[in-house]
Amino acid sequence: MMFSMFVVWIIVFVGAFQRRRWTVPVALANLVWTLVVLNLHMTDPIPLNF
Amino acid sequence: MLNAINARATDISRLINLLALLGLVVVIAGSLDLQFGFGEQPCPLCLVQRSGMIGLAVGPLLNLLWGMRPAHYAISILAAVAGGAGSVRQILLHIADPADPGYGPAVLGFHLYTWAFITFLIGTVGCALLIMWTAPFDAADNGVLRTPSHARALTIGALGVITWVTIDALIIGLAVLPECGLGPCPDNPDPGPAAGDIGGALLMVGVGIVSIVIGYLLDRRFSNRLASLTRGPDTATEDDHG
Repeated sequence: MMFSMFVVWIIVFVGAFQRRRWTVPVALANLVWTLVVLNLHMTDPIPLNF
Repeated sequence: MLNAINARATDISRLINLLALLGLVVVIAGSLDLQFGFGEQPCPLCLVQRSGMIGLAVGPLLNLLWGMRPAHYAISILAAVAGGAGSVRQILLHIADPADPGYGPAVLGFHLYTWAFITFLIGTVGCALLIMWTAPFDAADNGVLRTPSHARALTIGALGVITWVTIDALIIGLAVLPECGLGPCPDNPDPGPAAGDIGGALLMVGVGIVSIVIGYLLDRRFSNRLASLTRGPDTATEDDHG
């Protein structure tokens, strides 16, 4: 799951080197995926009691 | 006159993007040094922050390769938000309990996730300020490969640092596989193999030196190709006769 984030970054880098138009949308999609992965790993509650 | 101003703005903007990318490479290389030199395996939240850090680097990378665009800075800002969410989450986790020593070693008084948060903050502010400077966007900049800088060192440096970021991203990605496989990562991973204090530093510096050499070779290759394109077939024929 975590591995997939970095695979997509490498795809973004390849797109950047080849000046592909899909590079920016794929980068944005990977940022959304990063937040999804973060949410999946937020298992512990934070007892801050503000 | 306008062209000269635009060319100067492009060169200054490229230098700023190059320095920003270099700063990010140093931060990423520092985390890799802790991983491979001291065996500190990254936690899941650390990997989210690394992903945000690579995303932060994509903006300047695109600016250098494709030319200056506001959309590229926007990618960096959004990446800083995503990565910053990971580092804030981790900071909150560890400050909630006063007895919690934090995750991993402290570097210059701060843990890596605090440094990551500071990096994301600086990245966001820097990108916002650079978007306000519109002169580089008005210039017909198509990146260092198609419109090379007047200073050749700038092109070589840009290509070298871009190579460095790419190699570091590859190392980060490949190092996830033995730790996590294809599934979710363990919350507290066991320490991994350590190359030692000097071994880890040598590895990271070695990657940097190899990257600069690749940058130099790429610059030579692309400048030769550009020179042959601008010379054109007529000139080439004259050269052949002459």
